[in-house]
Amino acid sequence: MSVSNTNTATRRSAIGDGFLRLMSDPMGAIGVVLVTLLILSAVFASVLSPFDPAQINVPIKLQPPSWEHWLGTDQLGRDVLSRALYGGRIALSVALISTALSVGIGVILGMVAGFGPKWLDNLIVLAFDTVRAYPVIILALAVGPIFGAGLKTVIGILVVTSIPYYGRIVRTSVISASKADYVEALRAMGMSRVRIVARHILPNIIGPILILASMDIPVYIAAEAGLSFLGVGVKPPDSSWGLILDDGYKFIRQTYWLVIAGSVPLITATLGFTFLGEALRDTFDPKLRKGV
Amino acid sequence: MFAYALKRIGLGFLVLILAISSLYVLILAAPGDPASAMLGPRATPALRAAITEKLGLDRPMPVQVFNYLISVLQGDLGIDLRSRQPVLNTLKIHVPRTLELLGASLLISAAIGIPLGCIAAVRRNSLFDRVVGILSVSVIAMPAVIIAIFGMLIFAAGLGWVPAIGAGDGEGLLSRLHHLILPAIAVGAGWIGYIARLVRASMIEVLSTNYVRNARAFGLPARRIVFRYALRIAVAPTVTVIGIGVGVMMGSAVFVEIVFARPGIGKLMYEAVILRNYPVSLGAVLAASFILIVATTLSDILNALIDPRFIEDSE
Amino acid sequence: MSDILLEVDGLAVQYGSLSAVNWASFKLERNRVLGIVGESGSGKSTLIWALTRLLPEMATISSGAVWFEGKDLLRLPPDQLQALRGTRISYISQDPMSALTPALTIGQQMMDVLYREPWSRKEKWARAVDALDWVSLPDPAARMKMYPYQLSGGQRQRVSIAMALMLEPDLVIADEPTTALDATLEVEILDLLRRLQHETGSAVIFVTHHLGVVSSLCDDVLVMHRGDIVEAGPVSEVFSRPTHDYTRMLLRCDPARIAQTTRRLPTMADDLETPIKIVAGPADRIKTDQPAVLEIANLSVSFTKDSALPRWLGGQAQEIRAVRDVSLDLRKGETLALVGESGSGKTTIARSVLGLVSPTAGLIKVAGQVVDRAQAEVLQVVRAFTSMMFQDPVGSLSPRMTIGEQIYEPLVVQGRADVDRATTVADLLRNVGLPAGFATRYPHQLSGGQARRVGVARALALNPALIIADEPTAGLDVSVQGEVLNLLNEIQDRTGVSILIITHNMSVVRHAADRVVVLLKGEIVESGQCAQIFDAPTHDYTRALIAASEHKLPEFSEME
Repeated sequence: MSVSNTNTATRRSAIGDGFLRLMSDPMGAIGVVLVTLLILSAVFASVLSPFDPAQINVPIKLQPPSWEHWLGTDQLGRDVLSRALYGGRIALSVALISTALSVGIGVILGMVAGFGPKWLDNLIVLAFDTVRAYPVIILALAVGPIFGAGLKTVIGILVVTSIPYYGRIVRTSVISASKADYVEALRAMGMSRVRIVARHILPNIIGPILILASMDIPVYIAAEAGLSFLGVGVKPPDSSWGLILDDGYKFIRQTYWLVIAGSVPLITATLGFTFLGEALRDTFDPKLRKGV
Repeated sequence: MFAYALKRIGLGFLVLILAISSLYVLILAAPGDPASAMLGPRATPALRAAITEKLGLDRPMPVQVFNYLISVLQGDLGIDLRSRQPVLNTLKIHVPRTLELLGASLLISAAIGIPLGCIAAVRRNSLFDRVVGILSVSVIAMPAVIIAIFGMLIFAAGLGWVPAIGAGDGEGLLSRLHHLILPAIAVGAGWIGYIARLVRASMIEVLSTNYVRNARAFGLPARRIVFRYALRIAVAPTVTVIGIGVGVMMGSAVFVEIVFARPGIGKLMYEAVILRNYPVSLGAVLAASFILIVATTLSDILNALIDPRFIEDSE
Repeated sequence: MSDILLEVDGLAVQYGSLSAVNWASFKLERNRVLGIVGESGSGKSTLIWALTRLLPEMATISSGAVWFEGKDLLRLPPDQLQALRGTRISYISQDPMSALTPALTIGQQMMDVLYREPWSRKEKWARAVDALDWVSLPDPAARMKMYPYQLSGGQRQRVSIAMALMLEPDLVIADEPTTALDATLEVEILDLLRRLQHETGSAVIFVTHHLGVVSSLCDDVLVMHRGDIVEAGPVSEVFSRPTHDYTRMLLRCDPARIAQTTRRLPTMADDLETPIKIVAGPADRIKTDQPAVLEIANLSVSFTKDSALPRWLGGQAQEIRAVRDVSLDLRKGETLALVGESGSGKTTIARSVLGLVSPTAGLIKVAGQVVDRAQAEVLQVVRAFTSMMFQDPVGSLSPRMTIGEQIYEPLVVQGRADVDRATTVADLLRNVGLPAGFATRYPHQLSGGQARRVGVARALALNPALIIADEPTAGLDVSVQGEVLNLLNEIQDRTGVSILIITHNMSVVRHAADRVVVLLKGEIVESGQCAQIFDAPTHDYTRALIAASEHKLPEFSEME
């Protein structure tokens, strides 16, 4: 039993080491700080917001920033700061849920394709290729209104179009791993396919996949904002950075504060997560650099 | 090589057929009946019945899909509800505009990104390398909406260097190029960074290979080694990524076309969706998918030409 | 003009704070062949690439001088050094797979080497074709238009040699040019190099880990050990009267240099003075009265390689017949060597025994059970009887599991995990000569020899009746090869397990096998008792393999 104890101990200290290395990379440090700020502001949005983000107050519409409304008000007189804070909540939940679902389903389908029978592999790959034949934003524009604009549709579209991306990577890794000598050795021992994949191959590919996924979080955040900007994403009274940006864009010459309130958090989020993802990759898996 | 190209084109065609069919099924399988979704607030029982009848929505699904496929392959994409013209005519106006934009963006991002990545790889860990690295990551992270809006605010509305709206149709070539510059940069900006990083990474790898050392051992000049021996191999991943990236670029093009009021697939779709102009939005998706499939097929074939080993790897 | 072409003086190279070459000094005369010999990590490759400053970025040359025609190569301006490279000094590198650029044709690459010559394109083309013809590459004009991946390994190495010698340089530096090649091919390439050296009169530095190559090809030798040149001199002298202990050990341990058959090879740990014990040659170990553990009757295996074109476009699947009508048996307590080079089908036979591939025809019985891929229970029983040691010892271990977990894994798979895990693992490790503490290590923390021992331990976990050892000494330094063979022999003496050794290396066969089966292109060309095969081989291919393992090059005459 002492065997497994030393194991956990070394693994734990390896993670601690990794964090220190991450923070010593300037990009990593900036990423960690920005992402932490973002998560905190999203989690405590209700505490930090001075107003109810959905509260309409037409008489004070389109006011520039003031002591009361730090980021001014929008065309319905809602407090923009509160809306931006709640928008972060939406952006983060869309990104995290989409990542979790697409990685989860993608990994399973990829493993089935990579280690399953040939016909199933062909079928799955063809399905992947078909989904990849649609440009995401354009597909969302066409399908979004039919399924009804809203959070669920945004997440659904993002997940469906991302599954092939992870699925293909996992499939390729599983196929190359199943040609590896150690898998041949396990098969020679008589180990079942399922056990080989679950116990030996999966642990080897899941790390790189998670790092890739962390690099995709900013893509999801940008996509949610973009779709909401186009009117096929989040719908009012819910709040989204994309919606604020859309409002700002409509009155672009007069309402600079709306453009700022929509874009600054969006840029902060995508930059923060991108920096963090890049640094994570460089720290934990330099080999991934060349991939995809 | 020929066999590979043929196989790749066949696969592309199959995917196109599947993409068209599944889009049709997807739209019809949506919650609520498609006829009322199409009609929106105007839906009356009579109109609904008419549409159902006209589109053959009462027939079994496989028959519908087959009929739809046949008419699409014949170029019949239905009637544009707004202009009362065949959708194909509407697409003929907008698709070339988007292709123009994508082509210009690709050109800009490759023309700037590849040399940047190359120099960064050759001068690894220099100040230049670090600055290019951080700038690349930053532009990659920038959402297209933001680049489009700020580009428009700063360079068109603010500085007035370039026109703010339109594609300069009906004017001379120079004016059209002038209209194209800013949108193309807005679509391509992230890709400059992306390509620079990709080329840098694969270049570093290639420069450390045995055959590059060998070329040095034969006294070949550094310039020849970088361009003839290393870069050829190092751009291969870029070609693949660009093929797939055309899809992402079309997404960015949607925002750019809307912000700059440029005709194109994106703007067409956006307006068609607002007006519930279904035949047009369907047609636009098909056109976009077609472009994307052609792009990925071409990039695979191009890769096989650059590095013949690619064929074996993709088996 | 003095006869000294190259003089290296106090050269030292470091990778970070790790020193790879310490204070190396030697001289090379014109028209001489200098062998540099040493085991992996001895710094021999680093030394030769440092001579013209072609080391990777992280390496630094910390001191020394390399004198070539009165100029110090280490301090020469880059343009002057570049002018020397390829024309006066050229290299032949180790791996023919990676030495040529994949994206350019052979012709383009050959003509690039001639870029400085004042010839027309046509003349350059003709010169390149001549050079390929000179290295006996068949149909050189057609090969010029091919890409490297379209050539075989041996052909590629001929191209590299042609490129290196085309401009008749004064010095050719070859970095293990034959290591990646099959044994019989190695002999051909060495023969070619010797012929070309005679014709051009170039001086050659030849780096190798193979003592046999040195004695057959080189005039002088440097022996390197952990970055130091421990011994230098004419080959005849160094090999017959080595002065340094390391050289003596190296010469003593090489299985290829021990002509008598022994079950206990000398190892680096042995006392130098202990004589080699010639124990129980295979003649005493005939086992015909023992029951058969493995019987293979008329086995054939074919693979189909799909064409790039789909069938409906006229693409035709290609059938590759990997194994043709092979019959053999292996008795209890016996060691059988399956000998052949890459593509001979030897590994396919092993994989069929374990039910990893389906035979096209024929029958395989393990301990009386017919191996049938369709019957999972039978397969499970067969696999409990049989263990396989894979060729790549580190690669055949799961990268993210500890050694202890992996050694125990076969018991889990066979549903016999009820035994005390820690004790079992410790026992198994002890049996292969590793401390019990290795249980918590990960594969990447092992040396090649240690990983090989772990492979043996895992193979022993189920107390198998049959161990299949695929190239058990491949990639190991000479000094470790003996240890692994000794270990297999010891285990067999102790447990009576039957061993099927798969190898291309006849010197391994001599010291481990009782009987030998020689395979060529999937067919058995010769089989018999080990001693009989070595004493009176009947097939040309067997003779070539034996000659290759001893590195006896056919005599070369300048008269042709």
